[in-house]
Amino acid sequence: MQLEKTFTIEAPIEKAWKALNTPETIAPCFPGATLTEYEGDSFTGTVKIKLGPISLTYKGKGTYIERDDSAHRVVIEAAGRDSRGNGTANATVTGTMTADGPDKTAVTMVTDMTITGRPAQFGRGVISDVADKIIGQFAGCVAKKLAPEEPAAAATPAAAPTASTGTSAAEAGAGSSNGAAGTTATATATGPALSSTPSSTATPAASPAASSGAAGGPMRSEIDAIDLLDTAGAPVLKRVAPIAGGGLLLLLVILLVRRLRG
Amino acid sequence: MIPSKFDYVKPASVAEAVQALVDGGEDAKIMAGGQSLIPVLRLRLAAPSVLIDLGGIAELRGVREDGDRIAIGAMTPYHDIIRDELVRQHVTLLAQATETVADNQVRHRGTLGGALAHADPAGDLGAPALALDAELVIAGASGTRTVPAAEFFTDYFTTAIGEGEILTEIRFPRYTGWGSHYEKFNRTAQAWSMCAVAAAIRVDGGSIAEARVGLTNMGTTPIRATGVEQALLGQPATAEAIRAAAEHAVDGTAAPSDADAAADYREHLAKVLTGRAVLAAVG
Repeated sequence: MQLEKTFTIEAPIEKAWKALNTPETIAPCFPGATLTEYEGDSFTGTVKIKLGPISLTYKGKGTYIERDDSAHRVVIEAAGRDSRGNGTANATVTGTMTADGPDKTAVTMVTDMTITGRPAQFGRGVISDVADKIIGQFAGCVAKKLAPEEPAAAATPAAAPTASTGTSAAEAGAGSSNGAAGTTATATATGPALSSTPSSTATPAASPAASSGAAGGPMRSEIDAIDLLDTAGAPVLKRVAPIAGGGLLLLLVILLVRRLRG
Repeated sequence: MIPSKFDYVKPASVAEAVQALVDGGEDAKIMAGGQSLIPVLRLRLAAPSVLIDLGGIAELRGVREDGDRIAIGAMTPYHDIIRDELVRQHVTLLAQATETVADNQVRHRGTLGGALAHADPAGDLGAPALALDAELVIAGASGTRTVPAAEFFTDYFTTAIGEGEILTEIRFPRYTGWGSHYEKFNRTAQAWSMCAVAAAIRVDGGSIAEARVGLTNMGTTPIRATGVEQALLGQPATAEAIRAAAEHAVDGTAAPSDADAAADYREHLAKVLTGRAVLAAVG
């Protein structure tokens, strides 16, 4: 199954490109996702999906298998397995960015997805619709992070925040619903996306934040388990955002429910 | 397949059920007739920590008159609804739609409240509930509240029922003397609706005085075909006028595409089935 999405982010291409290549930045935007580990071009994590009576927890691994900085093209491969043995989901996501004027970036995301196991047996396809919603939610979150008027958005782990951006980031974090417990309240958060510090060899730990000492735990999504009730509405869908690290596709699996007796 | 391990409670009252739901936390799950939930459990697509079976709550079962409304307990099985005199007389469309659900065994176990709370857009009870302006009574720890059907269905399998709340009753206005019909389309017996149309029409002096039309499986929730309703008003109850109005069936809808039917085919079905449903209703 192939899904194609095009959307625009309100940010210059280099900024958007950098952000979208940083799992620490984008993972918290992914509904239901927890990034447990990030090393080099690979990351692991879980994605929790809730839809009606169904709840699935996919545990998976994603890898940036291609990253072309000049063409702004990235290919991510992701593979996940449901923790209760409900099969697997595999996806290859190809994201391409082009500058749409100085302050806007157009993103095209092509996802090739394969689902096995029980979810695959459900013929009534809710998939593309659900994909829209999930990507919409993710997009809204990323767009907010990258919006120029929010200073917190500018910070990426590579650019360790100063004390003042750290403060605003913490505020932003506290304002969002589900930052990891405790850490968002401090004025020393490492960046907008980081409710806590991922166990990673990357730079965030080098920031002045003391939070790294307190929180070695996994990074949780600011949006809790996917709940379609909270799905971002149509306006957000219009300017949908980018590449969801690996998990994205796994989510789509949702279709399942169908077929089951009414 | 055998479900994951879960605790099971069977409360005897709504208050006990709400308490059990609150105590059970995030992973507690309510079971009505179980005709959707049990397959999900057996497939291990859900693993609740505690299952709260509403089957032992007598107050949730049965049909009664409530002033000018017909009130149906959420745990009333389809079978009872189909045979209930009050429903047949005053909410005929609901009885007609319920008759099309699954098979006889399922109709003895499955419940109206369970179907509406499950909120499968292909389920057959949502469209009539929406078209007939049902009210849904929801109980929670802080009391009960009433939600109109128009605000009840929010998305795929998602309703206005909050965490810690239980759907207890569905109230319908009386449509005594209206003509009605539920036109369902599927390829095999006892399958989900690929598309279906619920229509209730009041004809006065040969022309259509009031019209209510609901669509099944034409979006993420049941949909009210207001375009058709408006186009029907004041029209003669003739096949020609009805078919012309039925062309509005897909106004404002975004039909899903799936293995059963592509969106354009569904749109075609919606128009044709709307014509048939309304014609049969005025028949």
